[in-house]
Amino acid sequence: MTGTATPDVDAGTGMPSPDQDVVALLMAQHGEIRNLFDEVEQSEGDQRRDAFRGLVRMLAVHETAEEEVVHPYARRSVEGGAQIVDERLEEERKAKELLARLDGMDPADERFMPLLQELRTAVTEHARAEERYEFAQLRRIHDQGALATMAQAVKAAEATAPTHPHPGVESGAENVALGPIAAIADRARDAIRKATGKGR
Amino acid sequence: MGFNPLEHGGIPLERQIRSWRELNVAPIDADHCDPYTRCRIITMNGIEVEAILFNHHLARHCSDLDLKRQLAQVRYTEAQQQKAVNWLLPGVSSVLETTIAYEQVAVDLTAWVARMEPDPYLAQAYRFGVLEDFDHLYRYANLFEMIEHRKAESIVDGLTEVMPGRPTTRHHRHPVDNVRESYDRRAANPLSKLHALTIMAAEQQTMNFYMNTGPTYVEPIARQLYQEIGLIEEEHVTHYESLVDPGESWWEMLVNHEYNECYLYHSFMEQESDPKVKAIWELHLNMELEHLRLACDLLRAKDGREPQEILAPELPNVLTFEPNKTYLRDLIADELDLTTLGTGYVREAHERFQQMQEAFLGGESAPSDQVIDMHRDMLGREYRMETEGPHPVAAMRER
Repeated sequence: MTGTATPDVDAGTGMPSPDQDVVALLMAQHGEIRNLFDEVEQSEGDQRRDAFRGLVRMLAVHETAEEEVVHPYARRSVEGGAQIVDERLEEERKAKELLARLDGMDPADERFMPLLQELRTAVTEHARAEERYEFAQLRRIHDQGALATMAQAVKAAEATAPTHPHPGVESGAENVALGPIAAIADRARDAIRKATGKGR
Repeated sequence: MGFNPLEHGGIPLERQIRSWRELNVAPIDADHCDPYTRCRIITMNGIEVEAILFNHHLARHCSDLDLKRQLAQVRYTEAQQQKAVNWLLPGVSSVLETTIAYEQVAVDLTAWVARMEPDPYLAQAYRFGVLEDFDHLYRYANLFEMIEHRKAESIVDGLTEVMPGRPTTRHHRHPVDNVRESYDRRAANPLSKLHALTIMAAEQQTMNFYMNTGPTYVEPIARQLYQEIGLIEEEHVTHYESLVDPGESWWEMLVNHEYNECYLYHSFMEQESDPKVKAIWELHLNMELEHLRLACDLLRAKDGREPQEILAPELPNVLTFEPNKTYLRDLIADELDLTTLGTGYVREAHERFQQMQEAFLGGESAPSDQVIDMHRDMLGREYRMETEGPHPVAAMRER
């Protein structure tokens, strides 16, 4: 990660707080995505299937939030923002293609794990590129209010599709009812628009 | 019979230059590599950086143009070796991730050297230092989880435990007390010379890495922690470089450097699990054999000495990356409360130590302690990975 500015920090920890700083929040999600890949790789059978559903939810929500909230802001506010964002969108498009192919596949299929590795590489490289070329620029703008507002919107999206639903809080049936990637993304988009006061 | 580098021919120097295409190595996989492959890469990068810097210093003391040209030629290939080695690290890794790997190197490399070192005074120096690197690993691991929300076990993979060692705040000693006595070049076991060079080079690279990458962080606690630990790396370089006999001639030092490179490439070639990386260790060994031959010729021409007078008859037992968990736990139980006084070690905090503590810490909580407090505030616990049971010192168990 690079950057020269010192962001506003949480008084308790001295760290940029994920509640107040969209960059800290998205970086936390990048770490969580990597952890979820580990979970899928290290599990078998039904557990792998569940872990993969968790990963799909996280990726769908995360990418939707970036597309709806962070990329438009970067495009408007950062010098050269349009090009930076176009490059990120191209990376996202490639990752989404891979995700869509995986989503229609049984995790027990022998093609599943090699394709998952391709997805992991694409997602990891995309995440680092965002951190280095887009997020670093966002912090240089020094608009703490904007970072906080965006954090709220991303959190609203995150709440629509928990990656690890608590047993009892959300039944298995409701879990399945979260549905395909497009439906998860739609729900996340609705939540963001509600949080930012923009209608559909 | 072991491997004697003096009896093997290498690749002729004029055939050692590689094109940019050949140097464009495929990096290792950050998420699935053998952690000790990454440790070997980081170690050899440190060794090659030292080779380059040492050769530059030597060249600055040479007035003979032909000799300077020969040194430049060897040095250029060392620079290519450094590129090929360090570019094995993947671009997707963050600085902090690589930092944790650097500390894993410092822990398991220094622990192995401490276990194998024949000289008791030198062994003590490694035992003393390794407990500090061990603590740095724990501090950075807590920072890593706070910033990247990943656990350090995803990097060190259960091979190295993560828990407190000698507390980092107590590493801030008066610079005077970091200078050790050197081995005697005429009496020292040849293995001792290799150990000292290896650990000195590894710590020097760590110092350089932290001093340059620390300010790329935005988070204030990260910037502060790199500064604090970066200064301790300065202490460590002082500590280890003073173990080397300053009475060695430039040519003797050059021979020792080249011989050590042969030793390490040979060691790592023997144990490497990644075939692509192993091929690089093998190629570089064959280059180093030629560098060694040239250095030996210089020793004969300039000092009128035979390399056999200063080198072992064959390479020592291969230097190995392996877990040192039990060894480290015993050390923590026995030697945690040591500090240095003059060139020796004491258990009680003396006046000069206290003065330095006051000057640097000023009675405040240092970044290395703050990082643990912040982690606890943020996640309700510390990050530790104690695979072999509770911490050996009861007072240092997690509260």
